[in-house]
This record gives sequence, structure tokens and C-alpha cells, in this order.
Amino acid sequence: MSNKRVDGQPAFVLHLHPYSETSLVVDVFSRDHGRVPLLARGARRPRSAMRGMLMAFQPLELGWFGGGEVKTLAKAEWLGGMPLLAGRCLLLGYYLNELLMKMLAREDAHVALYDAYFEALRALALGGADAPELRRFEKTLLKELGYGLTLDADVETGELIEPDVEYAYLMERGPVRKVGAGDTAVVCGKTLLDMAADDYGDPRTRVESKLLMRQLIAHHMGGKPLQSRRVFMELQEL
Amino acid sequence: MAGVSSLDELIEALRCLPGVGPKSAQRMAYHLLQRDRRGAERLAKGLDAALQHLHHCARCNNFSEAEVCDQCLSTRRDPTQLCIVEMPIDLNSMEQTHAYSGLYYVLMGRLSPLDGIGPKELAFERLFNRAADGVVKEVILATNFTNEGEATAHYLSELLHARGLKVSRIARGLPVGGELEYSDAATVAQALLERRDYS
Ligand SMILES: [Zn+2]
Repeated sequence: MSNKRVDGQPAFVLHLHPYSETSLVVDVFSRDHGRVPLLARGARRPRSAMRGMLMAFQPLELGWFGGGEVKTLAKAEWLGGMPLLAGRCLLLGYYLNELLMKMLAREDAHVALYDAYFEALRALALGGADAPELRRFEKTLLKELGYGLTLDADVETGELIEPDVEYAYLMERGPVRKVGAGDTAVVCGKTLLDMAADDYGDPRTRVESKLLMRQLIAHHMGGKPLQSRRVFMELQEL
Repeated sequence: MAGVSSLDELIEALRCLPGVGPKSAQRMAYHLLQRDRRGAERLAKGLDAALQHLHHCARCNNFSEAEVCDQCLSTRRDPTQLCIVEMPIDLNSMEQTHAYSGLYYVLMGRLSPLDGIGPKELAFERLFNRAADGVVKEVILATNFTNEGEATAHYLSELLHARGLKVSRIARGLPVGGELEYSDAATVAQALLERRDYS
């Protein structure tokens, strides 16, 4: 498409693949250019200045050039200020990266999603309560992909959501006052209202919103399994 | 035509090496056949022998010809310490320090969720059985300080701890003789974060 040079672009590494004995292909998520694969020449050499820097979950500033599908990484700078992810938070970080890698098309900018990703990583890095940031990230991801959630009204009747009523959340559509027994995603009205307000103080909201998001994401991924979730579950079972 | 197809077969086979594309596979094949037939023969025999005789040591999981490798059988090593490394090459690095005389366990990889490598692929159960032999007292986690190495160390520490073992992690910081001026920001930042009391 464009053979232009990009400079000083805020970005995160999503994943690294060895490309040759000495080079890497780096899948990055950049603020203004979305997901871009970059060839990092020589980055696998022992004395490469980039070697330690091209690390997931750390804010970087990257420069690249090239017109093909894979651009050439020209410059990488470590912005810092974010503690390294540790423990279980690392696995959650991989979950975020896998969603971005599997759901975003290449070179589609999603500035709002970039910000939500940054905030989610920061919450994970600080190791505190991360549910609000994770849910906000998932919500923004779906919205940016055109699958925005309806959280304020019954999509059949148009009536406002009532906190004490149970709703079935229909994929692709939204909440309807619960009727059938075969509905999979059932949440109470308060959960929907809390999600709209990004308020995850209520334990029930945390549990229900997490399950609802899992179902929505699985639906929009078209049955593609999430490796990070599988590994996470297997580790929990040990 | 038979000759052509075995050439194609060789080129295709060479592509299983990491980072070797069709172009370099072709170059390697022509080099072996045209310029270094003796080398090619050695390579073929070496591969054949390695495949036939090498398997994983029943104790440390490193490559070994015997069921249990020499290192694991050595009486000069301290069997109460078990150091976990990702790859055989990491074991070599540890050995070069001459600072460790315990035994090893080689994972042959690291947790890498995005590549589909989890505890099953790494046979964690095998490691747990090894570490729980009743002789091992301390497990030293020497996986890399990458995100994957850290994730591996974290889960192994939890799981080994739960099995009653003392677990430690090699330290991270500036290299010996390292000067702040020439160190990368990430290393200095982490060294600062993991600073120790000076007593
Ligand atoms: Zn052994």
C-alpha cells in the first residue's frame, strides 16, 4: 500500500517469531497503524541492541519502512514506566495479545482500543484488581470491530433494562427479558447496567460480565479456540 | 527423473531447520552435493546415529545415549539441588560458571501460550516426579528472563512449592563489570525495582 516511513510510533509487541538464524518477525500493535508485522533484522544476534527490547507488554516507540505486507523495523526505543508483568498476570497478558492477533485485521488503526489495551496492561502490571480494565478492553475490542454491546435496553421491546430482572443476551443482538430455558448467556439487569457504567465493584457483576464476555468473544471468533485460555486452564488443573 | 526428485526431497527436508526458507535450503543442498560430499555423508550418518541412539535421560530429560546420563549418575554432584533450565544450551551456560554442582532438569522449552505450548507439551508431570524423588531439597529456577521464561518460573515455583519443595529463582540485574552508562534501560529499571538492602 504505502511505502512511507513511520517514525516515533507508540506500539507494543504482541508476538515474536524467529525468521532466520539472526532475524525476527515481530507482530506489533501500534497506536496509529494498528497491527503490523515487522522484520527485525539481526535482532537475534547476541549483541543486538534490540534483542532485549522487543518484549511484549512494554511500551515502545518504533519506526519502520517498506511497502510490502511485512515492513522493516528501523528503530526501537524503550519508553519504560511499566513494571514487567508477573505470574498469573502474564497469562492474562497473553490472552489480550491473542485476542488482538486473532481478531484485528492488519493495518487497521484502533486508537481507542490501543488506549484500552494500555490501561489493561498497566492494571495487570501493577497487580491490583484488573477486572474493570480487562472488561473495558473486551468491550472496546468488540465495539471497534463493529460488534458493540447493547447494555441499556431490551432489544425486542425497547424497554430500559431493569436491575432486578434476568435477561438472556442474544449474540449479535442484545438483551431480551428472559423467557426460554435454552438461553446460554443469562445475566441480571444490574450486571448490564454496571457494565455500561464500567462499574465492577459488585462480585456478581464481575462473575456474570466475565462469562458474558467469554461467550461473546467465542461467538465472534467463530469457534477458533484461544490457546492462552487452554494453557491457563491446564495450569489451574495441576 | 529419479535424481531430480531426490534433490527436491533433500531441499524440502532441509527446510525443517529453523529459519531455513526455500532459497537457503536450495543453497545448502547444492553446497552439500557439489562442494562437500564428505561433509554431506558425515551429516547423514551423524543424523542417523543421533536419531537411533539419543533419547531423553530418564532423570534430567537432556539428550542422552544411556537411559540415565553420566551427569545424573555422577557421585560428585549434589543431588539435593535441582536446577531447571529451558534448553540444553542453557545447561552448558550454567556449567561454564563452575559455580553450581547440583543436578539439572532440562524442560526442552518454555510456556508459550501463543504458540500453544502449555504444561502438557512440556510434560510438567515428569518434572514433578523427578523433583519429588525425596532427595531433592531445593529447586533452582534458571529459565530465561523473557516473558515466557518468567511465566514458566512463576507456575513452576507455585506447583513445586505446593509439593513441599524449596524453590529459588536466579537473580537478575546488571552484568558483572556492567556500567550503567552502557546498560539498556529495561535492565537498569528492573535492577532498581529488585534492589536489595545493603547490610
Ligand atoms: Zn540426566
